[in-house]
Parts: sequence; C-alpha cells; structure tokens
Amino acid sequence: MKLLRAWLFVIPVLVLSVTGAFSHHAFSPVYDEKRLITVVGVVTQFRFVNPHAMMFMDVTDESSKVVKWTVEFAGRLNLSNVGWTADSIKSGERVTVTGNPTHTGSDRMFFRKLVRADGTELLPAGPQRLNAIEEERRQRALQRDQRK
Amino acid sequence: MAVRNIVKWRSGLLVLILLTWITVPAEAQSSRRNLEGMWSDPPPTAVGAFCAFACTDAGIDRLNALLDDPANDARPFEQLQAEAKTYEREYIRARLTPAALKTYPLDPADDPGFLRCEPWGLARQMFAPHQIEIRQRGNDRIELRYGEWDARRTIYMDDRKRPANQGPNRMGHSAGRWDGETLVVETSGIAANIAVWTDLNGTAEHSDQLRVTERYTRSKDGDTLLLTATMADPWSLREPVVMKKIWRWAPDQKITPYKDCERPTEFKRGVKR
Repeated sequence: MKLLRAWLFVIPVLVLSVTGAFSHHAFSPVYDEKRLITVVGVVTQFRFVNPHAMMFMDVTDESSKVVKWTVEFAGRLNLSNVGWTADSIKSGERVTVTGNPTHTGSDRMFFRKLVRADGTELLPAGPQRLNAIEEERRQRALQRDQRK
Repeated sequence: MAVRNIVKWRSGLLVLILLTWITVPAEAQSSRRNLEGMWSDPPPTAVGAFCAFACTDAGIDRLNALLDDPANDARPFEQLQAEAKTYEREYIRARLTPAALKTYPLDPADDPGFLRCEPWGLARQMFAPHQIEIRQRGNDRIELRYGEWDARRTIYMDDRKRPANQGPNRMGHSAGRWDGETLVVETSGIAANIAVWTDLNGTAEHSDQLRVTERYTRSKDGDTLLLTATMADPWSLREPVVMKKIWRWAPDQKITPYKDCERPTEFKRGVKR
C-alpha cells in the first residue's frame, strides 16, 4: 500500500459544499471533504445508476501490482442534469481521476474530476452551478454599487 | 352483438367522463393544469442552492444579508452558504423541545437511509432534491412521485378521512384541496421518523404526532414551484415551523430507476462539517 501511495497526489482543499450532489445520505461519514487525491488507471466498469453512479478501475502501482479502485459519483439524477449518459465513461479507457479520499484511506474516492487520455475533462454538476451563482453575485454587487 | 355492446359501453364511458369533467369547477381544472407535470432541481441561483433541500425565511434572510455585505464579496459562495446554514441550524435549535434536542443534530452516520438503505419518511421525502412529478389520477386523487427513492404519495381530494384502523405509516394520510391556484395538503398519521430541517447535516427526530400542511404554488412566470410547509409536532417542536422549497419546471426530465442503493462498507461517526 505504501508503494501505491506514490501514485497519489494528496492536496488539502477548502471545505467544499456537496449539498445536492450527495442527496440520499450525507457525505461526511465516508469521505474527507478537506482533501483531494488523484489516481491514474484503466476503467473496468461505469454504472450510471441511482442513488450513486459508480466507476471501478484498475490502478497499477510502482511494483506492478494492480489495485482495484472504486469511484463514487453523485446519482444519475444529478449527473444527467449536466449531460452525462451511461456512455460518458467507457470500459478500457485510461483516465486520471481526482476526488475526496475516505477517512480510512481505503482504495475509494468521491468523484471531483476525470481527465481522459486525450485531455478532455468530465466534471460534476457543482462547478457549473457555482459559476452561475458567482455571476449572480457579481451582478448583485454591481447593482449595489450603482445604487450608492 | 359484442361490437354493439362495446360501442354502448364506450359511449357510456364517454358520457361519464364528460359529466365528471363538467361537474369539476373550472377553477379546479385550471389549478390542476397549472401544477401537473415534472419539476426538478431549482435554478442555479444563490437561494436555489441554499434551498436544495429545505430552507426557512430566517435562513434566506441571513444568506441575503451575507451576500449584500461588500465585506463578503471576495469570499466563496460555499462559505457564505455554510455560514447561513449554521445560522439556520441554530434557528431550528431554538424551536426544538428538550426531547428532540437530546439528539439534534442527528449524526448522519446513524441515518437508517445510509446504514440500511431505508427509504425516507414524509418529513424528509417532501423536501427531497431532484424531481417531483405531480399527476391527477381520476377526480379524487393526485399522485406525487419523487426522483429520490422513486417514492410515491397519494393526495386524496375527496375529503376522505384516514381509516380508523390505519396506524401511522411512512408517508401518512394526505388530504388535499384547492385554494385558488394553490394546492393545500394536510397530512397526519405519519410514523415517528427523521425530519430534515436544513440539509442532511441538520436533521432531528419527530414523533407520530407530526402534522404537516403543504401549500404548492406555481410562480407567475410558470418556471418555478414553491412549497411552503408548516410543520407541527408537540413532541419535537415548541411551535410550528414553516419550511420552504423550490423546484424548476422540467418537462423533459424523467424519473429513472432507483434500485442500486448499497449499504456502506466503511464510515466514521461524529464527523463535524
């Protein structure tokens, strides 16, 4: 397991809101929302289901040992709002996935970002929504300043 | 002969349908058309995100005050939202009885929906994120179907009372009526369960004395559905609490199967957010 960790990039992050992304139960009992990790591997299965979509992948560590990783997503209900389908991720694809690790440090994470071999990215709904809200805030601040 | 009988039966059915339609007041017909259909997650606005589960006017006011303060312009929205939710959790705390305060807020790791994939009771389901589909079924009932858990509720529109031999159950007994363009639903007979007051980190126990009055109204522009729910439970609440929720009109969305809930293989209790 120590060798495998060489493949991980652990990044402390600000507390991220996951309200809405994780709706059928709370996020906090399983995942550490204050940290991010990244793994590189080959997708073995993507299940576009409710309440949470799941991806399984093989990650090869530095000693050539294959470790089975599980990536948990928001539900199909949530992902389809931003255009995801059952074919968004295909078995056999080599991908780089970033997400929140579990509290126990097991081979599992909660999805934040996926980068395909060609550099294209898949993101959850959260960033799109946040961008729209930040634009709303900019407009709001502009109107407030104009009233002065 | 058989064909003639079918024609007669069909004609009779058509007359019955027409008579029934004619006897329904025009206002009620308009109201039904007004709310029927598929609704889903709120628009990507600050208040929409804040009310992704449920919210209070006190919480919305707090959020707006934070957003309007120039000192907060550089802070990320998520921080302001978390601060307003913390304020809202305290607003709820002040309205809970000592009995409910013993466990408030409940540890999300003890949630039976998480531990055992148990579907939610009414006091959480009515605020569930994602879709709510409203459909008239005949003249005596309305069906509400939710994306989360693929849960269904029946709202009886014919003044029928809860059967005397029917004990409390997960969704309770709901009786509805139209108040102009607003659908008003009174629910009682709800089994003791968990109420969501702010989000999944702000839940509390409620008793089978819980009574809920829901008011569903479509916005004038037709794009949003607003729920105002008055919750009264002498066991858990010192006074009735009014909760709100917003959905967006989403006629193209469909509710998809919800059958892959898995019990957790690992979790940690007492994690603070």
